[in-house]
Amino acid sequence: MNIRAYKPLIPMIAVYGVLITIALTVDGMWQPVAYFMFYIALGQAFNIFLGLTGYVDFGYVAFMGLGAYGMGLAIKNFGHLGLIALPIGIFLAVIMSMLLSLAVGAVALRLRGAYFAIATIGVNEGFRYLVEGVRLWGGTEGMILSGFMRKTYGREMTNFFSTFLSDVLVILIAFSAAVVTIAILNKKMGYALLALREDEDAAKVMGINVTKYKIMAFITSAGFAGLIGATAWTLKLTYIFPEDVFNISYTVEAIVIVMLGGAGTLLGPMFGGLIYGIMKYYLSVIFPGIQLLILAPILIAIVVVFPEGLIGYIRKKARDTRLSEYLR
Amino acid sequence: MLFVRDLESGYGEMQVLWGINLEVNEKTVTTILGPNGSGKTTTLRSIFGLNRPWRGVVEFDRIDVTYMPPHAKVEIGITLVLEGRHLFPSMSVEENLRLGAYTRRAEEKMDDSIDLVYSLFPRLKERREQKAGTLSGGEQQMLAIGRALMTAPKLILMDEPSQGLAPKLVAEVFETVERLREEGLTILLVEQNVYASLEISDYAYVLGDGKVVLEGTVDEIRDSEEVKKAYVGI
Repeated sequence: MNIRAYKPLIPMIAVYGVLITIALTVDGMWQPVAYFMFYIALGQAFNIFLGLTGYVDFGYVAFMGLGAYGMGLAIKNFGHLGLIALPIGIFLAVIMSMLLSLAVGAVALRLRGAYFAIATIGVNEGFRYLVEGVRLWGGTEGMILSGFMRKTYGREMTNFFSTFLSDVLVILIAFSAAVVTIAILNKKMGYALLALREDEDAAKVMGINVTKYKIMAFITSAGFAGLIGATAWTLKLTYIFPEDVFNISYTVEAIVIVMLGGAGTLLGPMFGGLIYGIMKYYLSVIFPGIQLLILAPILIAIVVVFPEGLIGYIRKKARDTRLSEYLR
Repeated sequence: MLFVRDLESGYGEMQVLWGINLEVNEKTVTTILGPNGSGKTTTLRSIFGLNRPWRGVVEFDRIDVTYMPPHAKVEIGITLVLEGRHLFPSMSVEENLRLGAYTRRAEEKMDDSIDLVYSLFPRLKERREQKAGTLSGGEQQMLAIGRALMTAPKLILMDEPSQGLAPKLVAEVFETVERLREEGLTILLVEQNVYASLEISDYAYVLGDGKVVLEGTVDEIRDSEEVKKAYVGI
C-alpha cells in the first residue's frame, strides 16, 4: 500500500478535528455539528456512486429508508437481548440496503444515463407504497420505538443513544465512507471508474468490465446509505415513518452536496455537506420560513461559478503545486 | 482467425444486419465497404459485443465468442477503435495510453506497448505531456489507435479511422494500418474511403442493406461494376 496516496485524508482529519472540538467545547454546538455531519455522511456515501460512476440514482433515499427499518426491526425483535440489538441492527441495515441495491443495480444499471435515473425514481416510490400498502413494518403508522426503548434500555440509555451515540456513529460512517472512497481512487478500480464515467464505450474497448464496477460502486454506496438511515434516523429519532424515510428530498440534497463539493473527489462531499448544512441550518435560524428561497439562488450561483465543484476548482488551481498532494 | 457466420443484429425493434458472413485471416488487412446505413459499424459493434448479436456465430481463434462481453474479448486479444476516437480529452497523451493497458495481460506488456506506440507515432512521444483534447485531428486518431495497441491485441477492429481527416493525414493513417500488419497484427477495417483503403487491404467485403453483396480480393473489388456504380457514380 502506498501511504503517500492517502495524504488527502490529512486535511479531512483536520476538519473533523475542528468540528468535533467545537462540538465538545462550545455550549449548544453538539447538535448543530451533528446536523452538519449528517449531510457530510450523506454526501460522502452518495459520492461513491454518483461521483465515481457519473450515474444519478434518484431512488437513493430508499437505501437509507431500508437501513432505518433494519435498525428498527432489530430493536423491536432483539431488544430484549440487550445492547446486542444495535450491532444486529447495523448488520441488518447494511444487508437490506445492499440486497436492494444488488437487485436494482443488476437490472437498472444496464440502462444508461437518464434512463437509469428515471428507473430509480420508481424504486423509491414503489418501496414506499409497498410499505404503506401492505402494511409492512407498521405501514403508514410507522414504527415508534421510543416507549419500547425506554422500557428496555432505560430513559438515560435511550437519551444517550439519540443525543450522543447516534451522532458519533454518523461521524464514523462519514469517515469510513471517505476512507473507502480514497482506497477505490487509489486502486485499479479507481481508474476503471474514471474511464467509465468519462466514456463508457471507451472503457469497454479498453477491457473494463463496466457493469461489474458500476454494481460494486452502487452496492458500496447503498450500504453506507443504510448505515446512515439506521443511525441518523432510527437510533437518533427513535421513530420511523415511511413518508419521512422514503422522502425524495434527501436524494436531491445528496445530489446538491456532491455537485457543490465536487463529484468524484474525496474532499468534495465533506465541504459540500458542511457548506450545505451550515447554510440550511443558519438560514432557517435567521430567515425562518423563507430559508429555501434564499438557499436555492446561492446554490445555483455556486454551481455556476464552480461547475466542477469547490474541490474540483481548487484542484485545478493547485495543479503542480505541493498542495495538490493533499487534495483529491 | 475471425469467422462470422449468419450474423444478425440491430437496435431495438429495427434489424440492421441480415446474416453477415465474413472471414479475416491472420496478419491481413480486411476492409468492409458499403454506403451509409448498410451496417458496417453495426457489424463491428456486434462482433465486439457492444451490440448484442441476435443470431449467428462469431468465432475467434476457433473459440465461439458470439456472446462474450467486450471486456472478455479484450482479454483474449480483440479490441475496437471506435468511430469518433473516444479519447479522454482532459488527460495527457501518456495517461490515455497507460489507461489503455487496463487488463492484466496488457499491464504486463505496458512498457513494450508504449515503446511500440511511440516508435509508430513519434509525434505522440513529443506530445506525451499534452492533453489529448488539444491534439490535432490526425494526432487524436493516432492516439486512439495507440490506445488500442496498449491492450496488446491480436485483432484490431477499426471503425472509420480516416473520418474527418485532411487528405494528407488520411494517407498517414493508412500507412499506419500497413505498419500494424507488418508488426504481425490482424486488422478488420470499416471505411468510407474506398480507393485509399483498398490500396492497403488484402481482402474486402461490400455491404448493402445489412448483407454482404460482394467480396473478393482487392483487385476483384476495385474492378467490379457494383463498386464503381456505388461510389463513382458511373
